Amino acid sequence: MDKLYTLTKTIIERLKALGADMAYCTASSGETREFNVDGGEFSLFRTLFDNSLTITAFIGGKKGSVGLNSFDEDKVEEACKNCIAAAESSTADPAWALAPDCSEKTFTKGAVTPDLNKLFDRSAELVDTIKRDFPLIVIEQMIVTHENVHSVYRNTSGAVYTKDAGYYNFDLMFSAHEGEQGSSFYSSGVICDNLDKPAIELGSIRKDLEDVQKQIYTKATEGKFVGTMLLCPGCLHDFMGSIVDKFASDTTILEGTSIWKDAIGQKVADERLTVSFAPHYENVVCGQSYTTEGFIAEDFDFIKNGNLESFVTSLYIANKTGVARAKNSGGNMVIEAGEKSLDEIIAGIEKGILVGRFSGGDPAQNGDFSGVAKNSFLIENGKITGAVSETMISGNLSEMLNNLVAISKERVADGYSVLPYAAFDGITVSGK
Amino acid sequence: MLKDCVTNIKDSFETGVHTELRCQENKARSVSIISGNLTGNARSEVSGVSARVYKNGVYGFSSMAEVSEEAAKNVLRAATENAVFMDSRINKGKKMFPAMAPEAITCPAFESDPEQKVYIDFARELDDYMEKNCKGITGRGISVRVDSMEKYLITNDASSGHTLIPRSYIYLRMTAETPDGTPVERFVPIGGFGTFDTLFSTPDKLFAKVDDLYEKLMQKRNGIYPEAGVKTCILGGELSGMLAHEAVGHTVEADLVLGGSVAAHTLNKEVASELVTMVDFAHTCLGKPAPLPVYMDDEGVICRDQVLIKDGILTGYMNNRETADRFGMEPCGNARAYSFSDEPLIRMRNTAILPGTSTIEEMIASVEDGYYFIDTNNGQADTTGEFMFGVCMGYEIKNGKLGRPLLDTTISGVAFEMLKTVDMVSDTMTWSASGYCGKKQPMPVGIGGPAVRCKITIGGR
Repeated sequence: MDKLYTLTKTIIERLKALGADMAYCTASSGETREFNVDGGEFSLFRTLFDNSLTITAFIGGKKGSVGLNSFDEDKVEEACKNCIAAAESSTADPAWALAPDCSEKTFTKGAVTPDLNKLFDRSAELVDTIKRDFPLIVIEQMIVTHENVHSVYRNTSGAVYTKDAGYYNFDLMFSAHEGEQGSSFYSSGVICDNLDKPAIELGSIRKDLEDVQKQIYTKATEGKFVGTMLLCPGCLHDFMGSIVDKFASDTTILEGTSIWKDAIGQKVADERLTVSFAPHYENVVCGQSYTTEGFIAEDFDFIKNGNLESFVTSLYIANKTGVARAKNSGGNMVIEAGEKSLDEIIAGIEKGILVGRFSGGDPAQNGDFSGVAKNSFLIENGKITGAVSETMISGNLSEMLNNLVAISKERVADGYSVLPYAAFDGITVSGK
Repeated sequence: MLKDCVTNIKDSFETGVHTELRCQENKARSVSIISGNLTGNARSEVSGVSARVYKNGVYGFSSMAEVSEEAAKNVLRAATENAVFMDSRINKGKKMFPAMAPEAITCPAFESDPEQKVYIDFARELDDYMEKNCKGITGRGISVRVDSMEKYLITNDASSGHTLIPRSYIYLRMTAETPDGTPVERFVPIGGFGTFDTLFSTPDKLFAKVDDLYEKLMQKRNGIYPEAGVKTCILGGELSGMLAHEAVGHTVEADLVLGGSVAAHTLNKEVASELVTMVDFAHTCLGKPAPLPVYMDDEGVICRDQVLIKDGILTGYMNNRETADRFGMEPCGNARAYSFSDEPLIRMRNTAILPGTSTIEEMIASVEDGYYFIDTNNGQADTTGEFMFGVCMGYEIKNGKLGRPLLDTTISGVAFEMLKTVDMVSDTMTWSASGYCGKKQPMPVGIGGPAVRCKITIGGR
């Protein structure tokens, strides 16, 4: 019998014996193998052997949680008692609940067993390719990993979810330099379940390296104008993340501070915009299998054809506020492609900015944002006219979605999300 | 016991390589109340053992989630094998770094570990006070976060010993609406180094902090957006500390220097006005304990202060043993690891700009048309030194007097250009140690600074 299967069974039974009327726990064992490159040179090889155990118990609507990384019998017993003590100290809230009528399921995702020699060879090949094809690039850090996890989730509603998952991950941080002149740093990465292709061909790594090499010499923007902001896929992900956080997340729905709190089914964006959270989407690697409440994770539309379809809310918040719970926890963002190519979108912009990275403050609750456009280019009369520095952009997240200019037909799949470029009007761009 | 599993293993260290063996436990306790609802109530304990071996210019590292002598021997073996694998594939052929005079480090025990009920009751009483006394707010939040890192380290050629860093914080948050219905927020962390019971006696001692937060939020409700552009402004200590950490500190971490940071070309050059001196303090600052004292790093280097900028001149980098050897500098104890399964990275400890001679009143009086930016909720910087900070509290200054409060804004600049515009530095400084620095791993750090008068770019529509 699987050790973790037995361990989680023992824990749930023990929690019930100690007074829990509802409980769930996850036990996992994993191995990580990691190569590091620092300053362009291989520096470190790590292997990690880790365990993790999280236990949550409810007594009369009172919740307590503990976490540890030991399966030692005495420590597990102590953790069960601490969990019950934490729950007993809590406040009763009938909104806490688990998925009803669960069953036993098994999930296998990704590449569970690593090919370590091939992973090293692909890493070395990537370093060599960058040195050859992008001579001005300095790899500040590259972290290449393979992680695998064997886990068992069990709850008092009958769920026993056994999961084996594994993936490769290439993460690079780099900048470009010529003499004493240097670009801003940029991060690019992918997760994947095989090593069939050279890493440089995955995600947007090659395009990102090309762009950063063009950002060594920058010009500060003079004055101020209102124009079009064209977001690169990674940057679009960050903006959409802020939109979820400010308008659709647990905290903002619980507090009632979201400006979309009554907007389910209503238009919140241009009708060409469809945003989903889709762990089962093609090209997504090791997406979510189940939620901590015991629901099997399903894909869902957040915004469909411009209408708000769902908040990104947990079962607790759904029960607390009367909204529907989201069908997964909100990872693996997928945005539908548009009809124009990136070049066509740029050609249609009279004055604007192509933003690779946004270094901004936490947007205000009403969606106002401002920050520095990093790794960005000025667009004038349909052409990219140069890289910029010391350039701030500001606008409003909600207004931005209604001022959509275009979505590209090209999309970047990095194993975690599938995203296009998207352009929005009405953005203030200011320099010195 | 953490100590037992590493102290008898030193005889197993391989000769001719540099070896570190560390046994560590991180503890965390947390409670969150959002608008009266207890949404978070959790405890965690993560422990294990790790080894790192340096051979011919490459490191091997391994960790296991187990505290035992057998696990220690296993990670030592795996780390050695990893170093041999990398050496065979890379073949750098670098020499060992210079040996150090070893010392034995001990630290006091912090026995207190209250049960969860203590944190919940404390937070609940503060929440009750907020609910009764803060009329007109639209949301409120209280979080209790207590964490600690305890380590036993054995090295073959540097220092060894026991270190422990406990930290306890309560975070208060309130939201309200401006007259036109725009949500505004204020937030304050309270706490520092030490266990919860040594820092917080009873909730009523914090009621004044709640009142102050509420008063500032009510002021902010009627705030104005600052005008975008470049102005002469005063940055309060929270912001100059953020600048010291984010915009200067990271650029002078030697691994980022090797990765091409702006500081690669500015050592021993003027990077700031002569009023600016900046230090990464180890454990003591200006005769007082630093907010998060660090006595020995995770390479076994005894910690001492690293002067980064002296009278406006960039004088040094923060190093580990390998980069110190490469740059011909002395390591000052900046190699720190967050969890047992993390390798030491070059990290800051308590990074601050030192106070000057002006009073804050003199500084305000000297500004004809500008802003006093007091508090920040977010900051990011580039290895070029270009930075952006979110400002969540401040006032306009008109004709030398504080005026209307400000709504949220952002400020930005390039550190080594902006620091050259500093022409007044206050005689007092502010420390903060409530957050984590992020760089592959999280790390608790202290940041500090005085108020500085400078020219800075303000964002906005």
